[in-house]
Amino acid sequence: MSTMTLADNRQQAAESEWAVETHGLTKRFGPNVAVNNVELRVPRGCAFGYLGPNGAGKTTLIRVLLGLTHANSGTMSLLGFDVPRHRDLALARVGAIVDEPRFHTHLTGRQNLELVAAHREPAARERIGPALDRVGMTQRADDKVAKYSMGMRQRLGVATCLLGDPELLILDEPMNGLDPAGMHDMRAMISTLVAEGRTVMLSSHLLDEVERTCDAVAIVDRGSVIRQGSISELLSGASVVLQVECSDDEKANTVLGTSNLSVQVTSGASGLDITLPPGAGREVIAEVARLFIDNGIDLYRLQPVHTSLESWFLEVTSRLGDAQ
Amino acid sequence: MTTLSETPLARVETGPPANDHRGSWLPTGAMIGKRFMELRRRRGLMIVLPVVTIGIPALFLVVRLLAHAFDPKSYGPAGGYDIFTALVSGVLYIFGFIVAAALGCTAGSVDLQEGVFRHLVVTGRSRVAIYFARIPAGLAIIGSLVAIGYGIVCLVCSFAAPTVLNYDGTNVPAGLSRPALESWASSHADDVICNFGFRLGPEGPSSSFASVIQNVPCNNGPGGRRVKIGPPPGSGPQPTQAEIRAVAVTIARLDYSDYSRQFLAPSDSLMVRTGLWIELEAAIGFLVGLGLGSLTGQRTISVILMIVLEVILTPIFLRAHIPHMINLQRSVVGVAADHLGPSAIPIAMGGGSSDQANLIFETRTWAAVVVAAWLVVWTALGAWRMASRDT
Repeated sequence: MSTMTLADNRQQAAESEWAVETHGLTKRFGPNVAVNNVELRVPRGCAFGYLGPNGAGKTTLIRVLLGLTHANSGTMSLLGFDVPRHRDLALARVGAIVDEPRFHTHLTGRQNLELVAAHREPAARERIGPALDRVGMTQRADDKVAKYSMGMRQRLGVATCLLGDPELLILDEPMNGLDPAGMHDMRAMISTLVAEGRTVMLSSHLLDEVERTCDAVAIVDRGSVIRQGSISELLSGASVVLQVECSDDEKANTVLGTSNLSVQVTSGASGLDITLPPGAGREVIAEVARLFIDNGIDLYRLQPVHTSLESWFLEVTSRLGDAQ
Repeated sequence: MTTLSETPLARVETGPPANDHRGSWLPTGAMIGKRFMELRRRRGLMIVLPVVTIGIPALFLVVRLLAHAFDPKSYGPAGGYDIFTALVSGVLYIFGFIVAAALGCTAGSVDLQEGVFRHLVVTGRSRVAIYFARIPAGLAIIGSLVAIGYGIVCLVCSFAAPTVLNYDGTNVPAGLSRPALESWASSHADDVICNFGFRLGPEGPSSSFASVIQNVPCNNGPGGRRVKIGPPPGSGPQPTQAEIRAVAVTIARLDYSDYSRQFLAPSDSLMVRTGLWIELEAAIGFLVGLGLGSLTGQRTISVILMIVLEVILTPIFLRAHIPHMINLQRSVVGVAADHLGPSAIPIAMGGGSSDQANLIFETRTWAAVVVAAWLVVWTALGAWRMASRDT
């Protein structure tokens, strides 16, 4: 049994390098395991993507972290504070949107913020105006939420998160309902928030958005975190594909097959796709080019295509296999 | 086009605010104030509540005031003791409970139904404090509305009360002592004999009493009042005026306890006690509704259950003497609350004061314990469900 005092916990919190940390976190709904023994570490001061297909358990993990539902086993901390033991201290500097942002539709946007701010420290009331300004909702703040579009509600949800001057923002599918301009604005705001020293953890199934927004990701599938780390680190371990246009595809296939290079060759739409082994360097690309030329194959185009987060995600999640 | 500003909001605070007590069960004044605002801005609810608690009694009294002003001979004064007791028991008590329950069920369930509860929980504020903030906010709304409606009833019933007491169709001076009523009866013997009802003891009437009653012929007079007429042809010996006066005095003596409960206007103490009682009833409706709404998370179902409790179950349990279930009947909050009311107020839902003897018996102490238990248990249930609910 832990004998850590509140003062100890505050000290530990201040020294913790992780904004979110979980160990063996598990949440079951009857026989279904929604969160399965999750080991997650979100570094402070970065944009972190929690990535997974629909039904992977992203929202459930967020709900467990925020104390909206109880974990069956495991430990967790937010901003270094043990949760649920010091949940109140931890959440004092956390802003979160879970699922879609919901509000009292008979109240105005400003009144909804006032209601939430009343549940925070007194200084939160002074942040209502700046928060509305920051999400571009000042002009519509005194309209009833019933008249808001989905995108406006999403913005108001972000404003709600900002009331606590959060060190950590947890945003569940923040791009939902936003038009392209709104998505661009949201990305810019997340970048600014991170630049201010805040941590933004966002869950999404929009891989492209996560790749553009986040510094690090965790991939979740069927309730389990299957990979986590910085995007560049994760993709460096992925395969590189060379797209090749040449004078004789059949001969090129034979040459590569008899070489000592461990490559896979498939016919693509405009030539050959040559998949190099994970971690292959530039010298392998040069060796491929040399083989073509030495064997009298004219080379019209040789283009390395770096793996996108999306293709890598599909590679590592079991969902692709299921779909096929 | 609205755009998201990249201007920094403020410096990023590190660590929780100093002197932060958001884990406490006690709600802050700001939480209560904003919850009050949230409830008060529910347009539908805020139309129904004043209409029922203020509008219905006010409309009834305005119609009576106008009718009396235009035709005072046909329509009696708008206020008075009888109107007061009827409005309190027939409107404010029952409908006050129902609208208070509707408000409580709304306060208990809408945060959940509208998905706002999780926004409040992720502030780190204690769920129990979030629940407790609804209690003073809701009570301030329903308490003030009931007080306004009741205040109007008291004003009209006090200041537009009749100047003479109409007892059994006869105008009688109000507030007489027993000897004074007997003296008045002696001087209005014909009116008493022709109009006053009475109930004799088990020994029945004496021969002289019966003789006088049988031989004083009465008939319908103007305005429905019965008057003495002359002896019909062929009738027996007529009682003397002294005998008639003696019988009238006897009737006055028999009727005194009933007469003494008739007043021109409600007394100050009755109005205070009644006001506290209907405020208690509204508070019961709100707090039980709040607990039930929080427990179920459903407003409509909770309101229906509360109406069934008040309008169907309570009258049944109040009157039906069900073998082996008397203590269960006494444990129903509506039954207990009825027993806490001023005895001058007739029981609700058509009972009338004459039905008091048919109600199941319950001491005031036991009734107070039952009411307190209901309030504590439902508040605890609501708070527990809010604290344990997955959102």
